[in-house]
Amino acid sequence: MTKPRVAFFDFSSCEGCQLQVVNLEEALLDVLALVDIVEFREAMKESSTEYDIAIIEGSITRPIDVERIKKIRERASILIAMGACAHLGGVQRMSNQWTGEENKAEVYKRHPGSETTKGDSNPYFAQPRHRAVDEIVKVDATIPGCPIDTAEFGRVLVALLQGKKLPIPDYPVCVECKKNENICVFETGGFCMGPIARAGCGAPCPTHGGECEACRGYVDHPHTQAHNEVLKKYGLTPEQIMNRKTMYTYRYVEEAKGGE
Amino acid sequence: MKILSKDNFHAFVDTLIQEGSMNIEGVKAKGEKFVFGPLDSAKELRLDYDVTILSPKKYFLPQFETMMAFDSTGVKKPAPAKKKVIIGVHPYDIMAIMQMDKYFFDTNVDDAYLEKRKNATIIGLIPKNVSEKAFFGNMSQLFDSQPELAYDLMLADLGDKFAVMVGSERGKALLEKAQNVAEATPEEAQKVQQLQKDVQQKATRNLKASPRGWHDLLAANYSSPVWKEQGDKCLGCGTCTLVCPTCFCYDVKDEVNLDLTSGARIRTWDGCLLRDFTKVAPGEIFREKIEDRYRHRFNRKGQYLPEMLGFVACVGCGRCSSQCIPDIADPVELFNKLAEGGMVPEGPAFELPIKADLAAIPDTTNLYIPRSATLKRVEKVTKTETFFEIQLDDGQPLGHQPGQFVEVSIMGIGEAPISVSSAPGGNTFEMVVRNVGDVTSKLHGLKAGDKIGIRGPFGTGFDFEALKGKNLLFVAGGLGIVPMRSLINQVLNNRADYGKVQILYGCKEPCELLFADEIKSWPDKGAEHLLTVDKCPEGECWEGNIGVVGTLVPKVQFVPQDTMAIVVGPPIFYRFVIADLKKIGVPEENIIVSLERRMKCGVGKCGHCQMNGIYVCKEGPVFNLADLKDIPEAF
Ligand SMILES: Cc1cc2nc3c(=O)[nH]c(=O)nc-3n(C[C@H](O)[C@H](O)[C@H](O)COP(=O)(O)OP(=O)(O)OC[C@H]3O[C@@H](n4cnc5c(N)ncnc54)[C@H](O)[C@@H]3O)c2cc1C
Ligand code: SF4
Ligand code: SF4
Ligand code: SF4
Ligand code: SF4
Ligand code: FES
Repeated sequence: MTKPRVAFFDFSSCEGCQLQVVNLEEALLDVLALVDIVEFREAMKESSTEYDIAIIEGSITRPIDVERIKKIRERASILIAMGACAHLGGVQRMSNQWTGEENKAEVYKRHPGSETTKGDSNPYFAQPRHRAVDEIVKVDATIPGCPIDTAEFGRVLVALLQGKKLPIPDYPVCVECKKNENICVFETGGFCMGPIARAGCGAPCPTHGGECEACRGYVDHPHTQAHNEVLKKYGLTPEQIMNRKTMYTYRYVEEAKGGE
Repeated sequence: MKILSKDNFHAFVDTLIQEGSMNIEGVKAKGEKFVFGPLDSAKELRLDYDVTILSPKKYFLPQFETMMAFDSTGVKKPAPAKKKVIIGVHPYDIMAIMQMDKYFFDTNVDDAYLEKRKNATIIGLIPKNVSEKAFFGNMSQLFDSQPELAYDLMLADLGDKFAVMVGSERGKALLEKAQNVAEATPEEAQKVQQLQKDVQQKATRNLKASPRGWHDLLAANYSSPVWKEQGDKCLGCGTCTLVCPTCFCYDVKDEVNLDLTSGARIRTWDGCLLRDFTKVAPGEIFREKIEDRYRHRFNRKGQYLPEMLGFVACVGCGRCSSQCIPDIADPVELFNKLAEGGMVPEGPAFELPIKADLAAIPDTTNLYIPRSATLKRVEKVTKTETFFEIQLDDGQPLGHQPGQFVEVSIMGIGEAPISVSSAPGGNTFEMVVRNVGDVTSKLHGLKAGDKIGIRGPFGTGFDFEALKGKNLLFVAGGLGIVPMRSLINQVLNNRADYGKVQILYGCKEPCELLFADEIKSWPDKGAEHLLTVDKCPEGECWEGNIGVVGTLVPKVQFVPQDTMAIVVGPPIFYRFVIADLKKIGVPEENIIVSLERRMKCGVGKCGHCQMNGIYVCKEGPVFNLADLKDIPEAF
């Protein structure tokens, strides 16, 4: 069997997910036994236009990004969206709440002297609208998370090579949190998106004293109404509830609006 | 009863830890809460705890458990874990372990569970503090007297000393490692009794429906609006089942390493509140609505397990009550709500639970490791179906009854329940598999000579002895012909034993018809038959009927009261065909069906296949329709 050729591409992102792949360390050698990595800016110099599997990091933001992702899609037989930016649009999607003009004004007035008029015609400064990869091109597999979980990266790769369904669960983070025997964040005065967030990460955030922010998006059928009631009961105002839901999951807010 | 000063008790525990031959586990603090965990020193023990986040269930049915490891050389059971001592188990949690014993030792002994149970010494503890939501005091009303608990040693805190009760030889032997053990005085024994009484009192909440009456209360309230009201508030998070010491349902997954050949089959906690718990490959979810899942949990505890095994699957620990965020999982509040409806039945006392005699249960069972088998013949019979003839490598015949199924196993992919399609007897057996998911698509890629794993045969099949002398009407839809063929061939091989044999078989299109060659031989073997397809696309040829299977029923001559109808097909098929048959006067007792549900274990343990209180993998898949009258989840 010839090894499938894998190429990594980054769009609007912090490149943290690619770093997670580098962080596979010893397991990375096992991965390299399974696939040939032909493009990976974060770890190697070579680049290629010949590949079977394209792994995309980052949200699709500007018209030039749209063109680029379409080209990549044409060349790849399998396209994987990796991380919250590619899966949902990332935290940067929050800025979709305002117009490009408003965002620009907000950013540059905070840094007097950095205004640029040239920028208006430069495609690299085009006013961003953040989109998930599957809103632009067909996605064959998604590895959710911010950043992705290295173990899950391995599981997805194995499933793809074995021809199995993707091992991404459709139950909430609470399941994994409970298996870890955590004290629930709600019992210690916090607020948690765990009841509607998709598991698979192993619930690291509540396990280490944080709150789940639903960086992996929601389960297929989130009990949003019941969850809102809980947030309210524990003292959040409707506005605060909305803030929680714009962090990683503004995509769903936009989709709900679009569906109205 | 013995007495041990607290200092000596700590020294005893430290000795056990230092010896290192066993893992010493006990209750420790985690933040403001408590958990069972490994002890580095007796000082860590918090025997003043009220309740732990998770129960000691995790020692016997761990959150994640390797059932077997596999690589290119084969499949291996993991080596038994080191022996354990678990210190500080409260009586309600011991009661839950006794229920688990009953569940996992019933009919099929779960060897993975048995090994862990035999390996653990339980040191119980009469609680001093009681959590706000605990109600084990109420649950003791189930019995007329105190049950004998399955502990090895039991502690009671008497201030600067522990009273120690010995419950087993193993406990007695362990206690011999303690220094300065004294006999208890009558006053001390008296104090222990008082402590027990006080704690029962403290753990009694305002429960308006006695647990003795829960069964009838639930039965009367199956259609109550309460389920929807509460269900609307439910997050479907699964917490109430995961934290419960008497919820035993699990899922099984194959994890494969990056070498793509080695890995492990892992069992992990699952729960009926989770949406995909009953999901099957074509996408159907048998308990899709949250209120149905919410209701199932209470019914399982209060109705189904009491009927099946004689215990109420709640010990009143209060874990679900305190850990459900919308606060709707508390049995006390739920039963009080149901009791508001007016009827508060008071049933008879429950029989006292019996301590399992662990030593008497042989470790020879092997419930989960599949037997190796070889594919003798592989034939693609339609676009989506493949026929397999299989031989077990140990040379044994499968020994199945018609209507039974096997779990087909491909290491690294998983298991799937598949009906045996050949008649009983012979050294090989046959099956026909539709390609719908992971296991089934891998099977389709295999060829003669390849190896698979087989567990089974499982389930209750068709009682072909009881059918002798009767007129038989077979009605098959789609893949339903596959399990039915096993019975048809058994009947035709013994044709003289049966009355009239009529077979109605329909599928969607002519190209999906299975066993076409065999069907041609049916008339010679003394069976009348009619075939139908839902539709015949242009270009295909078809001489039989066009229309759903039900349209064939009026076309055959039979006396409804005098005929046994055997009906097998996909879920919607049943609704129509059964109505058709009943309309022309076939009594329910004369209708036999074979049902499909999500299955994982096939041996009545994982909980996935339940419809109401029935384990389809064990009591079914074949049922007499009359027995399903009170099973609303059946169709
Ligand atoms: C008693 C019984 C007899 C059956 N007999 C046959 C048969 O003769 N031929 C045939 O083609 N199919 C049969 N099925 C259906 C078959 O079991 C499923 O199609 C199969 O489990 C799908 O597994 P998968 O791994 O390919 O699909 P996936 O979707 O990957 O399923 C994953 C797992 O979910 C469970 N599951 C999914 N679908 C079902 C289902 N429909 N029923 C039970 N468990 C399921 C299994 O544990 C399976 O391994 C039978 C089912 C039952 C319950
Ligand atoms: S901390 Fe969050 S994830 Fe964990 S149980 Fe509570 S709500 Fe669920
Ligand atoms: S716990 Fe929540 S925020 Fe943390 S990694 Fe998992 S999904 Fe993301
Ligand atoms: S009843 Fe409570 S704990 Fe159980 S699934 Fe619903 S919200 Fe979660
Ligand atoms: S149902 Fe609730 S109170 Fe009863 S045993 Fe389970 S967790 Fe404890
Ligand atoms: S209980 Fe596991 S399949 Fe029936």
